[in-house]
Amino acid sequence: MKRTARSYRNLILFSGPALVVYAGFLVIPLIASVVLSFFQSGKGTSTFVGFGNYVYLFTNGSTSERFWNALVNNFEFFGVHLLVELPIGLLMAALLTSSTLRRSRGVYRTLLFIPATLSVVIVGFVWRLIINPLWGIVDFPLLGDENTALPTIALMSVWEYVGIPMIFLYTALIAIPDDILEAAKLDGSNAWSTFWRVKFPLIAPQFGLIAILTYIWTFNGFDIIYALNGSAPGPDYSTDILGTLFYRTFFGSSGQVADPDLGATVASVVFFLILIITALYFFVVQRRLKNYEL
Amino acid sequence: MRSKLVPIAITTASLVMLGLAGCSTGGSSSSTDAAGGDVTLTLATWRTEDTAMWEDEILPAFESSHPGITVDYAPVGTDDYNAAIQSQIEGGTGADLIMCRPFDVNRAWIDDGYFAPLKGTDAVSHFDETALAAWTDTDGNPFCVPTASVLAGFYYNTAIFDELGLKVPTTQAELLDVLDTIKQSGKYEPLALGSADGWQLAYNVLYSMGPNYWNGEEGRLGLIDGSQKLTDPDFVAAFDAFDSLKPYLPAGYESLTYEDMMQLFTLGKAAIIPDGSWDISAATATGLDVGVFGAPVAKAGDQRYQQEMPDQGIGMNAKTEHQEAAQQFLDWLATPEFQSLYVNKLPGFFAMGDEPVTYDDPLAQKFADLKTDAELTPRLALDRLSAGTPPLDDEIWVALQNMYNSDLSAKDATAELQAGLDTWYKPGQ
Repeated sequence: MKRTARSYRNLILFSGPALVVYAGFLVIPLIASVVLSFFQSGKGTSTFVGFGNYVYLFTNGSTSERFWNALVNNFEFFGVHLLVELPIGLLMAALLTSSTLRRSRGVYRTLLFIPATLSVVIVGFVWRLIINPLWGIVDFPLLGDENTALPTIALMSVWEYVGIPMIFLYTALIAIPDDILEAAKLDGSNAWSTFWRVKFPLIAPQFGLIAILTYIWTFNGFDIIYALNGSAPGPDYSTDILGTLFYRTFFGSSGQVADPDLGATVASVVFFLILIITALYFFVVQRRLKNYEL
Repeated sequence: MRSKLVPIAITTASLVMLGLAGCSTGGSSSSTDAAGGDVTLTLATWRTEDTAMWEDEILPAFESSHPGITVDYAPVGTDDYNAAIQSQIEGGTGADLIMCRPFDVNRAWIDDGYFAPLKGTDAVSHFDETALAAWTDTDGNPFCVPTASVLAGFYYNTAIFDELGLKVPTTQAELLDVLDTIKQSGKYEPLALGSADGWQLAYNVLYSMGPNYWNGEEGRLGLIDGSQKLTDPDFVAAFDAFDSLKPYLPAGYESLTYEDMMQLFTLGKAAIIPDGSWDISAATATGLDVGVFGAPVAKAGDQRYQQEMPDQGIGMNAKTEHQEAAQQFLDWLATPEFQSLYVNKLPGFFAMGDEPVTYDDPLAQKFADLKTDAELTPRLALDRLSAGTPPLDDEIWVALQNMYNSDLSAKDATAELQAGLDTWYKPGQ
């Protein structure tokens, strides 16, 4: 399309409002937050300390212990999501495209996606009651044991959001043209080998996308842990992730004075963690993924 | 084409501007009616749940005796309160009257110049030094009027006690006997207590039982001035007393939350719940006949200590434009009129002034009676000992959870806590 002065004017007119809102509510606060992490304030003054806050966060005895603990927990939180959500999402998507479903496909698709539309607070509350050792279905205190608490919460979150990778994979599966599948059938391929040898390679690029989205979601994660365990998530900080650590540092906890500078430092670390991994993904991994022309 | 685009663009642009403008008007402070000289004060608190009570009962009582002054009640949720107050004051939009957190948070606010000093005013003359202690600066000058304290105790189900022929325990040995008898009966859980909420273990168990071992203020102030350490025998004995309840916890206690505990008790399935006085209404909500006893002493004949925690005070923003009106409000808070009105509208909270107050709620009166023969002391670790990193109070929550969940011993727990405190706390500074 040839770009005329008029088309440029329309471009600015249409994208302008969104750009203003985006810059005003996302870009500027983000930069301000990173800037804040280089300062130390108190009693109305603010001093530039360079990377002082970062050094403190990474090395100071008790503060760094909480930080590294939260970071490790966050990777575990991400790992459980990826390892459980992807296979189950794929299974559901494959079953949804199965020809035996036909009529009820819409019903199942809706049912499986409904949890993703629920509020985290409701999901957490319901699951907490289900697994409550007093009036629930298991005797073991899943949320009270340091080893099981984080995986348990991660699985609740998986239960809620498994519909999202399912929809991604489902749309990729139904985008495969029928003639390819018919060709496979003519060549004598059964359903099993058609799925793994024809369909699977065609939807493989979706896995990378889902993985990176899961990474971003879990490293920005906060809500379900806060809803279940509050801002100092126990037992013994075993369910503390970077989001809750940030909240506790920035807004303070019961007896702790809020420290916005150190809070901004935690937020910036999260931002850079996401930025670096996402950039790596887009510049290194995604270019190597084979996209078949359909 | 153009004629259709322009209105849309203008509408969008004006909506954006509206949104931006909306952002800048949050948290306005106060206004003066230019014509009349009437004054409107803003009162910032974290008690969102009491909005109706303040607006319908308490503030009208003040306004009717102080014509020309109106007070706006402006609560912020308790989790966001500290951050909200700090950002409002730093931004110059702080409320005229500010509810004060006890001890360290408030001391930091005093040091940052948030509050106007109250020394020598009527507002603080009716309170003794202990009552004011939670809201003083490092030199002991008061900055907030105490409005309410909370007490800790052991609620018990009188029907279960009658059925099993139990007497209210007064010593540690009697307490363990009572718990044992209930456990043997097999019909009820002895204790409604879980370890999912660490604060509950600290505030309602250790800080309630412990003062009987570390002798209340003697031990608490000893930690602050450095003459005592958590590893001293008195403190280890207190942690041991806390540990002695472990065999009587319900199955799966590791994931029982504070709310679960209260349900267990109000459904009549557990005999005793260690809890704070603020739960008076919740504990009796299902119509149970509930009594309360104080933390038992170590040996018969020992002096009894009762936890009384200063909970709320109210101070004046140092930068308020209506200093005189705000001072009148603070003076009124110190009157018996307010003190008894407030605590009777809010069962479970107790007046801290030197004038005796009677309580309409019978259970509240029973709680208040716990104070009569006991020496009072606030929660152990909230004064100075939690003003650094790691905060002792938060560390105690986790240590107590680990004692119940993973068999950490009292000796190891206190050693860890003292080591954590030693990394930053230098007594006498």
